[in-house]
Amino acid sequence: MAVGMNLYSRGDKLFALATSVLIGLFTVATFYPFIYIAAVSFSGGFAAAAGKVVLTPVDSTLAAYKYILTQPKFWISYGNTFIYTIGGTIMSLLIIIPGAYALSRPQLMGRRFWNLFVAFTLWFNAGLIPFFLNMRDLNLLDSYFGIIIGFAVNAFNLILLRNFFESLPQSFQEAARMDGANDFQILWKVYIPLSKPAIATITLFCIVSRWNGFFWAMVLLQSEEKIPLQVFLRHTIAFLSDDHEFTATLSSQPYSAESVTAAIIVCSIIPVLIVYPFIQKYFEKGILLGGVKE
Amino acid sequence: MSSGQDEKPESGVTEYDSKKSFKDKLIWLGDHFRNEWQLYVMLAPTIIWFLVFLYKPMYGLQIAFKDYSIFRGVAASPWVGWEHFHTLFSNDQFIRAFWNTIKISALNLLFGFPAPILLALMFNEILHVTYKRVAQTIVYLPHFISTVIIAGIVTTAFSPTAGVVNTIMGWFGLDSIYFLTRPEWFRPIFVGTGIWQEAGFGSIVFLAAIAGVNPSLYESAVVDGASRWQMMWKITLPCILPTIIIMLIIRIGNIMEVSFEMIILLYQPATYITADVVNTWVYRQGLESGQYDIAAAAGLFNAVVAFVLVMVANTLSRRYVRTSLW
Amino acid sequence: MSGVKLEKIVKAYGRLEVVHGIDLEVKEKEFVVLVGPSGCGKSTTLRMIAGLEEISAGDISIDGRVVNRVAPKDRDVAMVFQNYALYPHLSVFENIAFGLRIRKESKGHIEKTVKEASDILGLTPYLDRKPAELSGGQRQRVAMGRAIVRRPKVFLFDEPLSNLDAKLRTQMRAEIKQLHRRLGATSVYVTHDQVEAMTLADRIVVMNDGNIEQIGSPMELFMNPANTFVAGFIGSPPMNQLQGNIEKVSSGLQVRINDTVIDLPNNTNVEDGQSVVLGIRPEHISLSNNEGTSAMSISLNLVETLGSEALLHAKFGEQDMIVKAETNGQIDHLSEISTVYAPTDLVKVFDAKSGLVLSEPFSQGSNT
Repeated sequence: MAVGMNLYSRGDKLFALATSVLIGLFTVATFYPFIYIAAVSFSGGFAAAAGKVVLTPVDSTLAAYKYILTQPKFWISYGNTFIYTIGGTIMSLLIIIPGAYALSRPQLMGRRFWNLFVAFTLWFNAGLIPFFLNMRDLNLLDSYFGIIIGFAVNAFNLILLRNFFESLPQSFQEAARMDGANDFQILWKVYIPLSKPAIATITLFCIVSRWNGFFWAMVLLQSEEKIPLQVFLRHTIAFLSDDHEFTATLSSQPYSAESVTAAIIVCSIIPVLIVYPFIQKYFEKGILLGGVKE
Repeated sequence: MSSGQDEKPESGVTEYDSKKSFKDKLIWLGDHFRNEWQLYVMLAPTIIWFLVFLYKPMYGLQIAFKDYSIFRGVAASPWVGWEHFHTLFSNDQFIRAFWNTIKISALNLLFGFPAPILLALMFNEILHVTYKRVAQTIVYLPHFISTVIIAGIVTTAFSPTAGVVNTIMGWFGLDSIYFLTRPEWFRPIFVGTGIWQEAGFGSIVFLAAIAGVNPSLYESAVVDGASRWQMMWKITLPCILPTIIIMLIIRIGNIMEVSFEMIILLYQPATYITADVVNTWVYRQGLESGQYDIAAAAGLFNAVVAFVLVMVANTLSRRYVRTSLW
Repeated sequence: MSGVKLEKIVKAYGRLEVVHGIDLEVKEKEFVVLVGPSGCGKSTTLRMIAGLEEISAGDISIDGRVVNRVAPKDRDVAMVFQNYALYPHLSVFENIAFGLRIRKESKGHIEKTVKEASDILGLTPYLDRKPAELSGGQRQRVAMGRAIVRRPKVFLFDEPLSNLDAKLRTQMRAEIKQLHRRLGATSVYVTHDQVEAMTLADRIVVMNDGNIEQIGSPMELFMNPANTFVAGFIGSPPMNQLQGNIEKVSSGLQVRINDTVIDLPNNTNVEDGQSVVLGIRPEHISLSNNEGTSAMSISLNLVETLGSEALLHAKFGEQDMIVKAETNGQIDHLSEISTVYAPTDLVKVFDAKSGLVLSEPFSQGSNT
């Protein structure tokens, strides 16, 4: 705000204080579950199972981490998540960037039609079953490639980038064109360098959705050695809470179903937390680039 | 020299297009593709992807009207007309799922929609810059956490013996509740989780709208002696009203879109009565029980209702806010 | 010879026609300025020459070759854009070299050419900087450098100075003029600023509403506007335009405006009683009763002091007019003025209906 602090009256300062307190409460409420889960993950099995943990670890131990980090399946699924995230993001960018560029160019014949062709899928979706049957018909069940290609394009990201390209001054490409650049050169040498924030934003969206992707991986992948971390996490949570044999062995173990679940959650959040500060400045801008318009 | 201003042709201005012969058009087309072929090469992967992964399933939707069998395939399965829809509308579970979808969405709208607006208004009043940054960083974070993890956190926190919620209730002498098996608790937990996860991130749009308010409005209000509270009501809120309306219309258009992945992770047969929505029903019928045709019919019904809602929302937006959403 | 020729050029967007069949020939090494109000079709015309807009009808030739179907890059033209279109991610050197790199020129050639251009434009100390680190004037020079290194047959300028402040604009105007003298390249320059047009052009093309109103040297346009539009557009402040009627009397031709009569040159092509617009340039009106002038009684509203000159805003009957007077360091006497004098041989007469000039052209050289 362009208004200086000294211009605030006493009532204003009280109001500011009240909002600060409310925001503080909401922020703490938002952050608390993470603290709680971390505390559970470092707590002893009995304390975690009996609900003794509220804020800090009780009977601190790394046992839950030892258990989970020695599971080969955990590492396989972690590796798979990296494959899906990196492969999927690259595939997305390879399709979306040139596509968005073409859709942004006034020269493109049938541009209105193609844009509608893309936007229509935002309004009407065939649904789960036809998509699943289609993947099966394409022989893309239980395949790395199926996951990578099947979710490569997101119409929202495509439109977001197209809007960004359209917002660049026309003279950039006109100048390049007059200098003799063709469309590939204009895209590579002018548009991509000029669109770093927008491309970073959609890259971020791709990475996050890939890293977190769970439902279709659960539905499409059958082999245990192909599942990503999120599905492994899901299986483990279901397994731990249902498997009475595991529960029975608990008394002799320093970990519990709760602490192991919490430990996997922590392991899976850590990469997000590491990347998060770097991406924050992008998504704040990026979400606005989406500017819902054609 | 001077060609005068009064001889501007009013009629026949399109003649330059219509006068072109077929041959001229072909020549133009030839030139166009010779100069611009690269654009079409760039567009091709996108188009192919949309055709294969989004439009081909639309073709596959015809199984909603067929007695589908995996072995015969989509095209060869016999038509059965509206039979699946008759079955659907006489299925109590489906009807229940449909109403649950509407009810959960309505609750989301009622509680989840104002939350980010309130948050943005409050963020706008915070004077301490670092405090504000830190708070924003934290409240945006849950948006980036996966559904599975959030469901895991919720399951752990609300667990009857191990969960912190029951622990804290115990401090106040309340009896332990097994929340996730109690139908009356499902919707509050689901909607609350949604607010926890998305309110912060959702405030970005409104914060941007607030940032777009002309600062001189506030300056003149200060000169006029307005308090921050008055400015919030008289300046900020009216100025971001168009954004609020657009976001509201989008939400209304997406009423059929309930985060069913989260529901799949949180619900249990005991809570189906309040938790089961169309997409979770479709998931169980189709992907778990293999009744693809009926499930596809339910999905189609859902998609058509959603499509109509989106179109209505877009029309409303065009009429009242003069912005097309897409 | 690398001239540009436009024949019956039409531009239509669907039903909307924005350029209505214009003819124009730009000679080799000539500096032609297209000037007109916004939306007059001048930029569209320039972009059609560049190849950035398709031509709806007519032919454009560059260097004697019809280029209607030739891609911009093959037309051998370079353009300086209004917003300069400098790539923010590239250094000044790379911006200037961009076109040469695209054309796969040799490294040595690129170095040499960019060096030459940056010397001419005084950019050598800034070659490693990014556009964001440059002043407006320097950016403008980089944009010109990018055009120069291509050694095109024709330079196109699309309002290149409109983003600069007034002082810089005057300076860059002089630089462009000098650059043109030095390189001698055929240039087409678009602006809405008539001062820029007057100072830069060998010939000015005044456009309005998709038509060419007049083509001529700056002095021709100033002294002999072909119609009321050009009269009102060229010159600052513009020519006064006063509604009146012709009276033929024994002593010659006169225009009657209310109770005043103003003498006209005898060779004006008018009829008795004809409604006309009388055009008098503010700077041609004198404050002293010289021979060959007609007295006009005015009521003064406002004196605007510019320094060596002052603008007198006045009412002549019901009509507004402006007189430009020399101050000689004094302005007090100007506020007393109630009569001014229109020089008979410098007034212009336009038909009130068509706006076309009725006076014979004022021949050059007889006036200073």
